[in-house]
Amino acid sequence: MARKCEEFIKGLADYIDGDIEPELCDEIEKHIGKCNNCRIMVDTMRQTVSLCREGKEERLPEALERKLTGMLKERWDKKFGHS
Amino acid sequence: MNEIEIVKRAQAGDFGAFTELVNAHKDKLYAFVRKLTGDPEDTNDIVQDTFLKAIDKIDQFRGESSFGTWLTSIALNQARGMFAKRKQTDLRPLEDYLPAGATNGPNPLANASLFDWRDPLSVLEAAEINELVEEGLAGIPFKYREAFLLRYVEEMSVKEVAATIGQSEAATKSRILRARLALRDFLSRRFEGNYGEKMRRVH
Ligand SMILES: [Zn+2]
Repeated sequence: MARKCEEFIKGLADYIDGDIEPELCDEIEKHIGKCNNCRIMVDTMRQTVSLCREGKEERLPEALERKLTGMLKERWDKKFGHS
Repeated sequence: MNEIEIVKRAQAGDFGAFTELVNAHKDKLYAFVRKLTGDPEDTNDIVQDTFLKAIDKIDQFRGESSFGTWLTSIALNQARGMFAKRKQTDLRPLEDYLPAGATNGPNPLANASLFDWRDPLSVLEAAEINELVEEGLAGIPFKYREAFLLRYVEEMSVKEVAATIGQSEAATKSRILRARLALRDFLSRRFEGNYGEKMRRVH
């Protein structure tokens, strides 16, 4: 892999998270336009995060919710002294 | 009514207000812990203990962070305790998940998988992709995974993550990046393999 790509990868995280100076940004954009490896690297780094964010929608299971309702009320009454 | 007022009512002993807070945060907390532990049973235990701890410590909540962030940090401590007890933390160094030189070599891309994900992401089933993401996350050592998830799933700033895990900002940034590189590489290799196999079956 070319020297340019090595330098590029050092700034990669800041670039894809959007906190890098604009001039450097232009330079990187230009490089990605010509270099397929670095384009793939940027795309897949972004996709890694978006796949973790999206994923399947996890919700508190109903069985746990039912169990929790009683448990929390008991703990609450113990703490605050209601019956 | 805004959340601070609801918290105040809860702190004064109003169980209805506390229930409101639980309902507002339960699914998000569950989803976070599920990713953090990778195990449904562990997730149930941690979520349950987190809400119980929240009752015990509700007077200590001062509103310096949002209530959701406060719950997240309680859950994180529970998970840390659980993983430490089982000595599951960092049994394998992160380097085992990365191509040689990926985190400390002169050329981090030298052995990285540079497979384009456009085809696998459009061809593989969502369930299959989710399963791989889960597997990849679960495989990353805990100290990297927690930093990565706080940053990108909880959407904390690097500074907030650093404060939550008790590390310097530089160390935090490095853990987040290393987790991301490791997960990216894991997914890249698996996407390439699964996609290749699927194509062979089709043709
Ligand atoms: Zn390049």
